[in-house]
Amino acid sequence: MPSVGESSVVELEIPPGSAYVAIVRLAIAALARGAGLGEEAVEEFKIALSEACTNAVLVHEESSIHEPVEVRWIEEADRLIVEVSDRGPAPELVKEADQFDSQGFSSRMLMSRVLLSALADGCEFLPRAGGGTVARLVLDRQRPSG
Amino acid sequence: MRVANGRPITRIPTEAADGCSYTMPLSAGGSRKGGPIMELALDVSKTGSLSVVDVKGEIDVYTAPKLREKLIELVSEGSYNVVVNLEGVDFLDSTGLGVLVGALKRVKAHDGTLKLVCTQEKILKIFKITGLTKVFPIFDSVDSAVASGDKDQ
Repeated sequence: MPSVGESSVVELEIPPGSAYVAIVRLAIAALARGAGLGEEAVEEFKIALSEACTNAVLVHEESSIHEPVEVRWIEEADRLIVEVSDRGPAPELVKEADQFDSQGFSSRMLMSRVLLSALADGCEFLPRAGGGTVARLVLDRQRPSG
Repeated sequence: MRVANGRPITRIPTEAADGCSYTMPLSAGGSRKGGPIMELALDVSKTGSLSVVDVKGEIDVYTAPKLREKLIELVSEGSYNVVVNLEGVDFLDSTGLGVLVGALKRVKAHDGTLKLVCTQEKILKIFKITGLTKVFPIFDSVDSAVASGDKDQ
């Protein structure tokens, strides 16, 4: 894997179809294991990654955007970063209270956000150059166990 | 896939994936065209008034519709007391949770129950993080879920 400065970078592009989310999970899980991450941490990271990819694929499907979803893996000395970029419209800011239905059940998107913030050490949503959103997930390489 | 600052080594085509080869398990997972196909095996059995759905594979945005369709089918056939056995599930994310919550709402509308069987810590963790352990009765075996009868616990 080539290094860019202190980092190693791998980029993937997938068609915006739900079938390809599993491919990203497999690829990033392999990279994470290669980076020395333990199996439990890999499994957790797979879920956070899947959430980010699912949200990207769905926003492309909903907006009939056929361009690929981009996934960027960046391996740094003390942390691992995955950026998932979509080209969809910026997500609407929805109040948390509006994410519950009349029976008090939370929406899939709210559950997704909860999983993202719980399973990654850092999660932020940034505007993508040229339009869209970058979901940036960060995992510290020295994670406290448990 | 391409390596940054390098030559593209693999690029998953954005068109239909005919002609592409993948080493993923290939089977009918859904009706969508194109792309690698991931398997989700569903096996339904009846025990008294309970329907037990054994799920094997990964539940994600691609396979979750298959589970949703099966659970809708069961409720439309009058099965309002359902056990979903997740012991064979390798992966679950918010799309799978969404399907289970949707099914719970459907059976509750008929005063039914939806029970889960799960002992895998990595799957239980998803329910704990999202607070759904308070919503779903979760059992450690199909037998204990069946033994609890039509009650929630």
